[in-house]
Amino acid sequence: MKRVAKPVFFIVALLILFLTYSATFGIKGKNGDNSTTYIKGVGDIRWGIDINGGVEATFSPATSKKATKEQIDSAKSIIEVRLTTNHITDYELYSDYNNDRIIVRFPWKNDEKTFDPESAIKELSATAMLTFRAGDEYTTATTGSDGQPVYKTPKGETATNVILTGSDIKSAKSEMYQDQTTGKATYQVGMVLNDSGTKKFAAATESMQGKIISIWMDDVRISNPRVDAVITDGKCSIQGNFTAAEASALANKITAGALPFKLTTSNFSTISPTLGSSSLHAMLIAGMIAFGIICVFMLFQFRLPGFIAIIALLGQIALSFAAVSGYFAFIPSFTLTLPGIAGIILSIGMGVDANIITASRIKEELWSGKTLDGAIQKGDDNSFWAIFDGNITVVIVGVILMLVFGPSNILSAMFGASTTGSIYSFGYTLLIGIVGNFLFGVTATRLMTKSISGFKFARNKWLYGGAAE
Amino acid sequence: MKTFKIRFFENRKIFFAISLGIMVIGLIFNVIFGTQLDIQFKGGAEIKYSFDGKIVQEEVEKIVQDTTKKDVTVHILENVKSSDGKSVKNNVSISFAGTESISVDNQQAIAKALTVKYPDANFQVVSSSSVNPTMGHSFFAKCMVAILLTCVLLVFYIALRFKKIGGMSAGVMAVLALLHDVIMVYFTFIIFRIPLNDSFIAVVLTILGYSLNDTIIIYDRIRENRRLMGPKTPYSVLVNTSINQTFTRSLFTAGCTFSSIATVFIVGQVYGISSVTTFALPMMVGIVTGCYSSVCIAGPLYVMWQNHKAKQKAEARA
Repeated sequence: MKRVAKPVFFIVALLILFLTYSATFGIKGKNGDNSTTYIKGVGDIRWGIDINGGVEATFSPATSKKATKEQIDSAKSIIEVRLTTNHITDYELYSDYNNDRIIVRFPWKNDEKTFDPESAIKELSATAMLTFRAGDEYTTATTGSDGQPVYKTPKGETATNVILTGSDIKSAKSEMYQDQTTGKATYQVGMVLNDSGTKKFAAATESMQGKIISIWMDDVRISNPRVDAVITDGKCSIQGNFTAAEASALANKITAGALPFKLTTSNFSTISPTLGSSSLHAMLIAGMIAFGIICVFMLFQFRLPGFIAIIALLGQIALSFAAVSGYFAFIPSFTLTLPGIAGIILSIGMGVDANIITASRIKEELWSGKTLDGAIQKGDDNSFWAIFDGNITVVIVGVILMLVFGPSNILSAMFGASTTGSIYSFGYTLLIGIVGNFLFGVTATRLMTKSISGFKFARNKWLYGGAAE
Repeated sequence: MKTFKIRFFENRKIFFAISLGIMVIGLIFNVIFGTQLDIQFKGGAEIKYSFDGKIVQEEVEKIVQDTTKKDVTVHILENVKSSDGKSVKNNVSISFAGTESISVDNQQAIAKALTVKYPDANFQVVSSSSVNPTMGHSFFAKCMVAILLTCVLLVFYIALRFKKIGGMSAGVMAVLALLHDVIMVYFTFIIFRIPLNDSFIAVVLTILGYSLNDTIIIYDRIRENRRLMGPKTPYSVLVNTSINQTFTRSLFTAGCTFSSIATVFIVGQVYGISSVTTFALPMMVGIVTGCYSSVCIAGPLYVMWQNHKAKQKAEARA
């Protein structure tokens, strides 16, 4: 057997313990009163709405006619504006153009006192009130969850003088145009008004040359362009150094005020934060007890390899947490749901299995009369492919789950897009668990076993399940 | 070192009888109770409130029926402990008949009507869900496609990896064992009257992976023993030896996983979290049958197929 240097055991074990510690508690620095998080721990994990509480709802247009992609997009933009102005972060929003659906999911805020999901859903899907108002006076200025300033509640002349409403607008589109003087291509929003709108707008732009007409959705200002010319033909444009995305976002919002349908809520589900947190607590207790049982079993049954297996299992659990908390800079944090936790528990089961297979194989070889080194080597070799094949089949299951239940999935063509359901999280944690299994349950365990068997105190075959010497 | 010497192949009829017996019982339950689909799949609505004090089930039923003009079933659960053990609450769950979803307005009206009747009860939504039937059906269809797709890929993988011991037959027998497990998990849902929901899909897929892992460990040993024992050894001896050699591992692993999931189940039961228990219970059954089917069903079936093939070959030569 190729010997592994003695210190390797301690290096690997310490690395695992460090990973476990840092993935559990995170690494946080204090700079005066500000604490900065360098590495995220378990406390930073973003819990799914089944744990933290929250709302999931599906909205669809209340018409029998099929909505166009533009209409769905602008309906979506209404919801988005309302989410960000209500300081709801962490929301997920999907649109399904084939089936005319908009799906939104957001967790309940921690500081929220009352849990009133019905009003929240109603508020999001209410018909948007789009208004063009004279002047640009507002009551409050705050910052939305996307970091942009939010100007709310018109006042003064802006509150009283409404020039146009959503029903005056025929269409709004993002367009590209070439600047006459600089020749640079920029984006603008082109707007077409209907007859009533054309008349009102012609009068208003005549009297308000050089002044501002602000555009509002519900109670929130979405744009404040200046009147440059009198618009008599009902065709105008809004310019303002937009990027392509900004221009189409604004166009979507303006169209939203002129949508020919209302949004109805076809599906919704809510979970209160208290129910969620008690399930989390229960899972935590269960996890600790289960881990304790496994530790005791492994120690009694497999002695030294059992002890090593426990260290490796710690590493595997830590990796699972690290992969969802955003511990590694290159893996974004992931929403962990109850099935996701079940995925972690199951992958730990697979990890235990890998250790049991290897340790049993070593024991078998010892009883057939091999030397300690020979038995460890043979046991490792013989068990590898069984572990490999077993784990790859679980990988297949995990990948299918992620592909089928992900946001844009392989079955989208058949069933349309959906939210990342809670099963998606299960697939993810299962996959990460298998990676951890190869990394810790196979590689780290073997390095540690071979390395520790070089020490004199660890030469006794009894420690590996052999006959007492 | 102890090794088991159980004659798995010779006792196959007993094993097959046990499995078939359980399936017949499950089938009888299924015929009597029918299959319950969760509202996730069939559409419908359910609301759960927490409240203080006392309320009367019939009155709640009447209030909700009057507000929504729909038939409802009201179920009151008293003294639900929260996990920190501090507060004790009563829960009332209202499920609506039929498969139509209810509107948000309806839900608000219910809460209002209940508060008017019981002003001191402090009704709070614990959870609510309302699913449109077409979307429910499409979600169900999607889950079924996912299971089918997984099965096909798994057969393909085994056939590829175990070419040396007759890949295709090994793959088919492994999937037969899987089918056995899926049926058992399905009957668990039926017998315990748990409506089929997305945790059914999660359990089935996990058991597929898990049971297949068990089967693969045994096939791996057969592959290895075929090399060690030579091509002359009869299949029944080969398979019996392989299963016995891996039997300790099968028991240990199943035991560890089972006790972990059982812990989850017990803790879930203590705190009355049905989303956890309805997931853990079928999983426990799945782990047991997953181990059982790999050891007692897949191996003997594989021997029967190989013996059958050998006999055909001999007849063809004669």
